[in-house]
Amino acid sequence: MKANIMTNSTAGLSRRSALVLGGAAAVFSLSPLGAVANTGTWQRVDEVLAVLDGADPIAQGMVLDLPLVSENGASVQVNLSVDRPMADGEFVESIHLFAPGNPYPEIATYHFTPLSGRPAVETRIRLNETQTVIALAKLSSGAVLVGEQEVRVTTSGCLTDADTYDTANEFQTRVRAPEVLATGDIGEVLTIINHPQESGLRTDASGDMVPMRLIERFEATLNGEPVFSADLNRSVATNPYIKFHIAPQAGGTLELIWTEDTGESAQASAEISVS
Amino acid sequence: MINRRSILKSMGAVALATPVLSLPSIGRAQGAAGRVVIVGGGFGGATAAKYIKRANPNIDVTLIEASGRFYTCPFSNLYLGGLREFESIGHSFDELTDVYGVNLVTGWAEGVDGDAHTVTLASGDVIEYDKLLLSPGVDMRWGAIEGYDEAAAEIIPHAWKAGPQTQLLKSQLEAMDDGGTFILSSPPDPFRCPPGPYERVSMIANYFKNNKPNSKILLLDSKDAFSKQGLFQAGWDALYGDMIEWVSLSNDGEVIRVDPEAMEVETAFGEIHRGDVINIVPPQKAGAIADAAGVTNEGGWVPIKPDTFESQLVDDIYVVGDATVAAPMPKSGFSANAQGKVAAAAIVASFAGEDVGTPSWANTCYSLIGPEYGISVAAVYRVEDGAITTLEGSGGVSPADADEDFRRREAIYAVGWYDAITQDTWGSSPA
Amino acid sequence: MRKSRLMATGLMAATLAISAFSGVAQAQDNGALLAGPCASCHGTDGVSPGSIPSIAGQPYAVLIAQLNAFKAGEIPGATVMTRLARGYTDEELEVLAHYFSEIEP
Repeated sequence: MKANIMTNSTAGLSRRSALVLGGAAAVFSLSPLGAVANTGTWQRVDEVLAVLDGADPIAQGMVLDLPLVSENGASVQVNLSVDRPMADGEFVESIHLFAPGNPYPEIATYHFTPLSGRPAVETRIRLNETQTVIALAKLSSGAVLVGEQEVRVTTSGCLTDADTYDTANEFQTRVRAPEVLATGDIGEVLTIINHPQESGLRTDASGDMVPMRLIERFEATLNGEPVFSADLNRSVATNPYIKFHIAPQAGGTLELIWTEDTGESAQASAEISVS
Repeated sequence: MINRRSILKSMGAVALATPVLSLPSIGRAQGAAGRVVIVGGGFGGATAAKYIKRANPNIDVTLIEASGRFYTCPFSNLYLGGLREFESIGHSFDELTDVYGVNLVTGWAEGVDGDAHTVTLASGDVIEYDKLLLSPGVDMRWGAIEGYDEAAAEIIPHAWKAGPQTQLLKSQLEAMDDGGTFILSSPPDPFRCPPGPYERVSMIANYFKNNKPNSKILLLDSKDAFSKQGLFQAGWDALYGDMIEWVSLSNDGEVIRVDPEAMEVETAFGEIHRGDVINIVPPQKAGAIADAAGVTNEGGWVPIKPDTFESQLVDDIYVVGDATVAAPMPKSGFSANAQGKVAAAAIVASFAGEDVGTPSWANTCYSLIGPEYGISVAAVYRVEDGAITTLEGSGGVSPADADEDFRRREAIYAVGWYDAITQDTWGSSPA
Repeated sequence: MRKSRLMATGLMAATLAISAFSGVAQAQDNGALLAGPCASCHGTDGVSPGSIPSIAGQPYAVLIAQLNAFKAGEIPGATVMTRLARGYTDEELEVLAHYFSEIEP
């Protein structure tokens, strides 16, 4: 069901060559590939419609890669990418991710820049129940792509939920970024922060509600220039994990900032050189 | 073949017309009843063979199994822990052949033609079937972890199929010096035996405690939560102090690269761990014959119709056990045994032209944390709206606050379970 | 020996199915399927080879009382049976008790 056939073929291309290809394809990108999604779960989700703001999304090119069956709804890995030829100068501004079957459907919004290299992100999310996960990609041209995938959520017969969170390592961060990249290459950046990402929707052992406390913002800059950022909500899994991409023109310091809704923040950095 | 089927249909009709409603097997017993080929003599396949023959001895059942003796993954951890001899987890097919009349073919099935209804063996032999039942277990996804291939597994075993791999790991543990480090890497879901990696480190801790008390165990996990987690961790604290260190996915537990020469593993965020003995339990998929039969999905597992465990993709092929998508049922020997019985009943009913009854399954997974410290998880499963489900309020794990006596009794029941299920599956008493 | 036991079981089940009221009769046909997983701990046909008790041929009244008590959580120190019994309806427990009571140990 996943339309990820082309993902691998474009994976090795730099943004520039992808853009060149995109230019060639731009001629037909407006009509034959421009199938408007007339049916879809997204049409019944208010939070999706609010982001669309009247736009007719194209049911093509927004690729969600999720397991067909998840045995642990508390942490479901999801890969998001855009697989569609772009017009000259057209790029993906943001990807919006929704879990309509969760009490609060907005999961996260990811913002890309030319330094992102590739509009793709990997993360882990909470899924309350079996449902269709929805993603929107907003393009700079104003076009919007929509993608959906159903995930069946079960709890494996042998799994028990860990309902406690070890706060010893809270706010500890980990980063893995490429130390050296060739000019034009796209590198992967793995990030994680130890944080309970309290949804405000669960009770503790004594039955009291645990107040909401979220990492709500993540920003990555290279030498002060924005590379990638994300707005995170309650359906991001405990210990928010984000993998994004970077295509630096020149080497420098990659700085990362996670901000909690209380204002507290954590920082990390990595040096990247470009040869 | 068509003739045989239509004869069967008419026989079914005769049986229905007679007053012995509950005894259709007498009607069936009067003629040849169909040919079933079963690939894989583990918990799923051997159980199905036995229960088909029990229900209708006139069904011709051929079991294709590569090894002459089947060694079980359940209780292989007890062998590693020094609680059992290796041969005690081996089971012959003698009762299936001698008592139940199952034809045993020792060979490797490598091809299935679903249209022609044939199975091809590595020897070139071709066997025809009316119904095929695959119980292929799992295969490792070689290469999913960089550097971890079949050659690497000769140095860093997976030991996730009981046999020479298990014996290799045991010999490495025995050769290790006191004070050494044992590393186990546990895979992401879904995989064979969800509590297995955690029971394994428990049993190896038991072996270390008795023989090499200064040794350490590092459990690197590709998950943030695992089966019976709270019970395992409490048991580790109680029996082994700080010998076992669990590193979750979020704390950089996911192994992404293995270096057998340096005896090192690398995690996602770049940490290098050196071990004296390393055990990689890699990501898995359905056994190869499932792919060859065209019954796997894009994830590498087999979607089935839950009422019968017939493939969703190819008619007349039934698949049971770890290879299937049966969640929330876990990939366990108990599940495979229970699924084998349901598939057997479905095949018998299909030959008789009858409807299969309403299936239900149960699962109980015992794990030993120490020789006298057992824990369990149990559940009953049934089909609802086309999917396997559990009943709210049923099932669950051993109580967190149970006393020593409770843990000791569950350890005794674990052994009782093993004796019973291996007898139910192969009919053979352990050597 | 095994086969004759099976035959006997089948005959008794048949008699029972005819005489019992319809709901149970219908479920009774399903007895073998329902009882399948029991054998994994209690042995084939409920004849245990190990430390878990045999249930074959126990009187119906004993079996049903035991199963209901497990389900109600009234058996002190019970391990998995409380959790498992809660996965079955009262009628299904009756079917299981009948099924195993009819087997000659």
